[in-house]
Amino acid sequence: MASHKTYWKSETELFEKDQAVSHLKHNEFAETLPVNDFLEDEASLQSSETSRRDFLKFVGFSTAAVTLAACEGPVKKSIPYVIQPDEIVPGVANYYATTISDGFDFASILVKTREGRPIKIENNDRARLFGGANARVQASVLNLYDKFRLQGPLAAGVDVSWDTLDTAVKARLDALLSTGQKAVVLSASTTSPSYKALVTQLKEIYASVEHVSYDVVSSGAALEAFGQVYGESGLADYDFSKADVILSFDADFLGDWQGGSYAKSYVANRIPKHGHMSHHVQLESNMTLTGANADKRIPLNTAEIKRALAALYKALNGEAVSESDSSIAGHMNALADKLRTVGSKAVVVCGVEDVNAQLLTLAINEYLKSDAFDPAAPRNLRSSTASAMDQLIADMDSGAVGALFIDKVNPVYSLANGAAFAEAMQKVGFTVCSAFSMNETAELASFVVANSHYLESWADAQPKKSYYTLTQPVIRNLFDTRQFEECLLKWSGSSDTYHDFIKGHWTANVLGGNAWNKAVQDGVFEAAAPKSLDARIDETLLQSAHRSLAVAQSEGMELVLYTKTGMGDGQMANNPWLQEFPDPISRTSWDNYLTISKADAEAYGLKNVNVANGGLDGSYVKVTVNGTSISNVPVMIQPGQAKGTVGLALGYGRKVGLQSEMQTGVNAYKVYFNGSKVQEVTIEKQSGMHEFACVQLHKTLMGRGDIIKETTLEDFITKPASEWNEVPVVSLDHQEVPASTVDLWESFDRSVGHHFNLSIDLNACTGCGACVIACHAENNVPVVGKKEIRVSRDMHWLRIDRYYSSEESFAADDAKKESFDGLFGETGSLGGFGTLEDPSANPQVAFQPVMCQHCNHAPCETVCPVAATSHSRQGHNHMAYNRCIGTRYCANNCPYKVRRFNWFRYNQNDEFDFHMNNDLGRMVLNPDVNVRSRGVMEKCSFCIQRTQKAILDAKAEGRAVKDAEFQTACSAACDTEALVFGDVNDKDSEVAQLKESERMYHLLENVGTQPNVFYHVKIRNTEKA
Amino acid sequence: MASHYEASIRKPLVTGSKSYSDVSNDIARPVEGRANKQWWIVFGIALAAFLWGLGAIIYTISTGIGVWGLNKTVNWAWDITNFVWWVGIGHAGTLISAVLLLFRQKWRMAINRSAEAMTIFSVIQAGLFPIIHMGRPWLAFWVLPIPNQYGSLWVNFNSPLLWDVFAISTYLSVSLVFWWTGLLPDFAMIRDRAIKPFQKKLYSLISFGWTGRSKDWQRFEEVSLVLAGLATPLVLSVHTIVSFDFATSVIPGWHTTIFPPYFVAGAIFSGFAMVNTLLIIMRKVVGLEDYITVQHIELMNIVIMITGSIVGCAYITELFIAWYSGVEYEQYAFLNRATGPYAWAYWAMMSCNVFSPQFMWFKRLRTSIMFSFFISIVVNIGMWFERFVIIVTSLHRDYLPSSWTMFSPTFVDIGIFIGTIGFFFVLFLLYSRTFPVIAQAEVKSILKSSGDQYKALREEGKPLYTMPKRGKVTTYSIEENSTTNQTHS
Amino acid sequence: MASKIFRALYNDDDILMNAVKKVREEKHHIEEVYTPFPVHGLDKALGLDETRISMAAFIYGCLGLTVATVMMNYIMIEDWPQDIGGKPSFSFIQNMPAFVPVMFEMTVFFAAHLMVITFYLRSKMWPFKKAENPLPRTTNDLFLMEVAVKEGEEKALTELLLDTGAIEVQKPKA
Repeated sequence: MASHKTYWKSETELFEKDQAVSHLKHNEFAETLPVNDFLEDEASLQSSETSRRDFLKFVGFSTAAVTLAACEGPVKKSIPYVIQPDEIVPGVANYYATTISDGFDFASILVKTREGRPIKIENNDRARLFGGANARVQASVLNLYDKFRLQGPLAAGVDVSWDTLDTAVKARLDALLSTGQKAVVLSASTTSPSYKALVTQLKEIYASVEHVSYDVVSSGAALEAFGQVYGESGLADYDFSKADVILSFDADFLGDWQGGSYAKSYVANRIPKHGHMSHHVQLESNMTLTGANADKRIPLNTAEIKRALAALYKALNGEAVSESDSSIAGHMNALADKLRTVGSKAVVVCGVEDVNAQLLTLAINEYLKSDAFDPAAPRNLRSSTASAMDQLIADMDSGAVGALFIDKVNPVYSLANGAAFAEAMQKVGFTVCSAFSMNETAELASFVVANSHYLESWADAQPKKSYYTLTQPVIRNLFDTRQFEECLLKWSGSSDTYHDFIKGHWTANVLGGNAWNKAVQDGVFEAAAPKSLDARIDETLLQSAHRSLAVAQSEGMELVLYTKTGMGDGQMANNPWLQEFPDPISRTSWDNYLTISKADAEAYGLKNVNVANGGLDGSYVKVTVNGTSISNVPVMIQPGQAKGTVGLALGYGRKVGLQSEMQTGVNAYKVYFNGSKVQEVTIEKQSGMHEFACVQLHKTLMGRGDIIKETTLEDFITKPASEWNEVPVVSLDHQEVPASTVDLWESFDRSVGHHFNLSIDLNACTGCGACVIACHAENNVPVVGKKEIRVSRDMHWLRIDRYYSSEESFAADDAKKESFDGLFGETGSLGGFGTLEDPSANPQVAFQPVMCQHCNHAPCETVCPVAATSHSRQGHNHMAYNRCIGTRYCANNCPYKVRRFNWFRYNQNDEFDFHMNNDLGRMVLNPDVNVRSRGVMEKCSFCIQRTQKAILDAKAEGRAVKDAEFQTACSAACDTEALVFGDVNDKDSEVAQLKESERMYHLLENVGTQPNVFYHVKIRNTEKA
Repeated sequence: MASHYEASIRKPLVTGSKSYSDVSNDIARPVEGRANKQWWIVFGIALAAFLWGLGAIIYTISTGIGVWGLNKTVNWAWDITNFVWWVGIGHAGTLISAVLLLFRQKWRMAINRSAEAMTIFSVIQAGLFPIIHMGRPWLAFWVLPIPNQYGSLWVNFNSPLLWDVFAISTYLSVSLVFWWTGLLPDFAMIRDRAIKPFQKKLYSLISFGWTGRSKDWQRFEEVSLVLAGLATPLVLSVHTIVSFDFATSVIPGWHTTIFPPYFVAGAIFSGFAMVNTLLIIMRKVVGLEDYITVQHIELMNIVIMITGSIVGCAYITELFIAWYSGVEYEQYAFLNRATGPYAWAYWAMMSCNVFSPQFMWFKRLRTSIMFSFFISIVVNIGMWFERFVIIVTSLHRDYLPSSWTMFSPTFVDIGIFIGTIGFFFVLFLLYSRTFPVIAQAEVKSILKSSGDQYKALREEGKPLYTMPKRGKVTTYSIEENSTTNQTHS
Repeated sequence: MASKIFRALYNDDDILMNAVKKVREEKHHIEEVYTPFPVHGLDKALGLDETRISMAAFIYGCLGLTVATVMMNYIMIEDWPQDIGGKPSFSFIQNMPAFVPVMFEMTVFFAAHLMVITFYLRSKMWPFKKAENPLPRTTNDLFLMEVAVKEGEEKALTELLLDTGAIEVQKPKA
């Protein structure tokens, strides 16, 4: 309600007539304002541009401007789903079965996707064969996010649309119909039935089409021999689990020999069960992974290996071996006897690139009726011979080829006569190269088809007779790319997708009534077992083969080319994980090098030296093979390298389409003449030293037998565990008790809830390193580059230590150390330890995976001033990154040296321009694991994100966790089950039983750290043969 | 006078027949006078080194610890070596002023002031390293048990590194108050002499208005005594705790029960050497030969000789125990020290720390100023190597041969070390120009017992004083407490 | 107004000591003595009673020890007993050995600092505190004795002081 109050200024207002009152009534202001003081000089005031209103406008505007400027927020590039796919739940991973088949590697895998992004490769446990992803396959997911990959089709180096490309190709093909020139499709030797069908379909339209397949690293001899004996194309397959004696003539079957992935079956019979394990003898030139795992390794050059094979054959035929050099003869007589006694339980494999050798091998296995030998269902992983390529080049030169379609392969780089191929390409005139990223061949092509990654593609494969696999895309094409098969479909005028094509082909020819979806889900499909082939071995052929082998001689040095575990044929060279992956044997990353025996190195005056900061330097040599020479090849002195041989890895030295950091090593393909891995070579020393990036600077075990405990099968069977698995004891009240049982304090109750342990079987670990990359991918471990690796700052959470014996065996090392007496003299420890530092010429090799041991009495935990690392109730040794202030005391006090420090900021830092420095590359990061900042310590976490996931899933479903659900990245990646992870409080879990094994021991048990990782004593089957 | 008695065989500690006012004048001179040329030159060099080190530190903190020469196996090298080295040097001061006070060693009075200054300045250097060696130094305050928003997020009192935090900060702050309390009467002396108004202001500010009442003196002496009593175990505890950083670990060569006494002896050893280094220069530069006499230097040399021999015993004991333990890792660790890739460092340490002090058995050598100076430098080099040997050679080859590496410093490592030396001398040079470098009040109190002219008088059986001629009578005005001398007639 | 104060200046500590004794024998009340350095036995001669500051220091030390113990028990055992390297965080006594160094340091820290602070405050010393010594030279080389003089004894006292070897006697200006 309105008020009628009146307010009085003073009581004088009561007097109406008062002057002042009336005056005040009419004047707002008591006295006149001094307006003129600031408004005087009217003129200038009028002339001024800014009126009061303008001024207010300015104020208003500037305020608004300031406010707006303040409002700018960070820009987030994110696009919402238009239709939310119901299988994608944020935070929940999906797994898809698929297959990698890139012409070199082959594996059935599971792909883990998060929010639609593939981020990790896992083994496909539904695949009976090829189910194990090796290091390269594990790393292949990162290539999907390679910022150097082609992002659209090119014509003469400039972007074009697919239509222009298609029309151009069609036009050309039509033209060829008249000119009668050939249109050649050149691809890696494919095992894909659909691909072959597709090419035939194309043929039907363009009769001139021809398919040439090309193995970058060939197994031509083996193929030829198999063909001669069994009249079929293929490679005899082997199941080593069925063999008690494995005799390998330079076959690196734990490596990439004939497509690899033999580790699982090999290891199956390497773990002593009821006092029984296989005996493995390896004759080889380079120190290979296989040789490193052999019970007996005989370093020989290829000629000697051939003679040895001949000798064995002879011996098996009952003739006494009269071999020129007695050592081989001696071995072979003994081995022959052994093979005869074991009979079908023995197997002989051969990696010598020589048809005769392969023939004899097949013959011997047939003669032994070896169970492990399986010619009935041969492998198709390699199918090309060197001659095919020479033929093609000849055709191209002669002008017979009017159009060349190159699918994925890069012959200009990977052919010894790549230059010739390049010229020939010019003659063809019309070349279409399908490439994933720019390469030497694509550069010269008239059109470049931007190829999709295999994780974006459909495909199928038949790696082995009656064994099929499927490849399905797990993500849409990231860029405007197209898999080559789609192109072929388009060009053959078909309108349906390659998916339809495969499905059609499978339902018609493969599935035989079985469900397509099931096949896709499993990723594998097995048809009925094939009937066995009967061998037709021509005796005379064998005789001649034997004769030629028996007289094999080698003049001068032999160069033995090989493929590295980390690089393979080199098509993944732009993958930082693989570049930084330390070679299992040399432990050197970011390089290939000429491996040479110590004796030869001294003869040539070649050196390996460690500089002040420990970094390894090697001399340079010039390698010359019939005319072609590669200069500045760094030399690595390799224990176990056969005298008179040198080794060099293929797959390095690529330049085109590679980030500068990745352009490492030298290109050994230049001397890979006619696909033969052995070449006559001359080497000469060059000036300068090469700087290696080697993560293990000390090669030997220094006679520290308690770090890698090992014993012979015989002792293992006959003697009590206390003798070959001694536990450290301490004296408690004058009683000797196991050190682990004595404790200064009352200990925590660890029997409640889960308690995680990791078991590592040194017999099962082949050192393949798949776990290293798996750990890399799972835990967002940064790549630090060659410079940092060189100064021993590798970030690997999981490493595989490789030790050489200094004497002929580790046992001898220990004995030698025990024999030390006093400081000086013959047996003095002063000189003695020095001699233990250099490895033997043909050493025993031992691999030991080491990650954080998650000690219950962790030395690292007690010393952290801010309690950034402490123990969990489940046995983890936690690392709280955001609490860490980086004193590095923990790393110093770790007896296992498994803690890794972020010396710099490794992400989004141009100094470290790897996948973590670009948006594309960061897509591979695991969202469950944070990326560590600069200045904090990091280390293995027992993949706590995985164990927590398993626990929560079980909780959500209201059930107990199943044993198999507990996995770490490494244990899941380990195809040979060397690493077994689980809950030891669950008494019937596998790991709990393994912990009870009498082979179980803890690393450095005497330090009293009580680790939650335990190892199994390595058993060597050395007594036999 | 009984209170002034001193055995006549004791050599005078103050020469040049000083009177009380002489003492004041001599000690106030450097403060009141202007700096000479040499001072400016030395100061310039020190400042340059300091700035260079500062640059190196800024570079490290902005880029990452990776700019040092460390690696996955050797995670500490020069940083902690320098830390322990500086802490060790920081032991002499408090030891001299505290332990020698308890033992009533009068000779300490001439040197304790500078020794304590040295202590404080070197502990400041030492304190730098634990902070800058962190991967994330901006979070250094996390080592303090500060209540925080995470509630129960605390420090780890099991960690020797945390014990260091408490030990070093206690040591630094207690030394500081000990030093400052002793400085009050001397500041007051300068204050009351000062003519320049700024000096007057400054010194009356930092002398906390010291007046010298008899009650104050009584408390003063009591406080000094109790502080000495507290500082003595403190100084021994500090290096003991520093040695725990290594002794409580599991690394062969670190895991050693002998470390505490061994480190303390080494600390006193290097501390006295540094005192010698500084005082031999200072007595010349500031002209205090009458107060810091050859006898002082000789006495310190004797301490150096003894502690050096103790350290030597420790080295030998380590080797013996390693052999006797029968633990192969221990044995190899020490074998590797003496014969491994870093043997040169080991033998540098041995010759500098064990052999060189033995020269001090000869009186001619230990009374020779130049030689003492030379040895003091050698000893400090040796002690730096001792810490380098303990840290780097133990780490670079520990349990698993697969992790064995080498270490070599980068220019940043070196730059930071040089920088701290520069910083140290900057502080010390400033101190020598602004502080009374000798505890003049205390010196005056021993003048009659240990001053040469008084000793002479006592020899002759004469009294130590002569009655002045009858004094005069004046008046003072109560208003302002200053005298207005109008003599009566 | 307060009783008159005579100032006697001496140039030697031994003379001062004798003078102090003499003056007290004559039943004069010595208000205060200012000396440039601690003169041993002066406090006895003046009959000052023992300072109790060391007792205070002891108490402060005990306080420090208690604070350390309580703090570490709360932090390591009560508030968040983590499993750190298997150390028994469930029992203070078992975990105690690891806490000894900090206990010691805290004891010293408290004792030393609180004692010094007490000393400063009791003797009225802090930054910006104005000095109260009557003559500046008493911090240098002169010794000053302030004696309260009773009515009518001015003359006698002056003589006495001069006899004790004062180089100067200052009377308050009337």
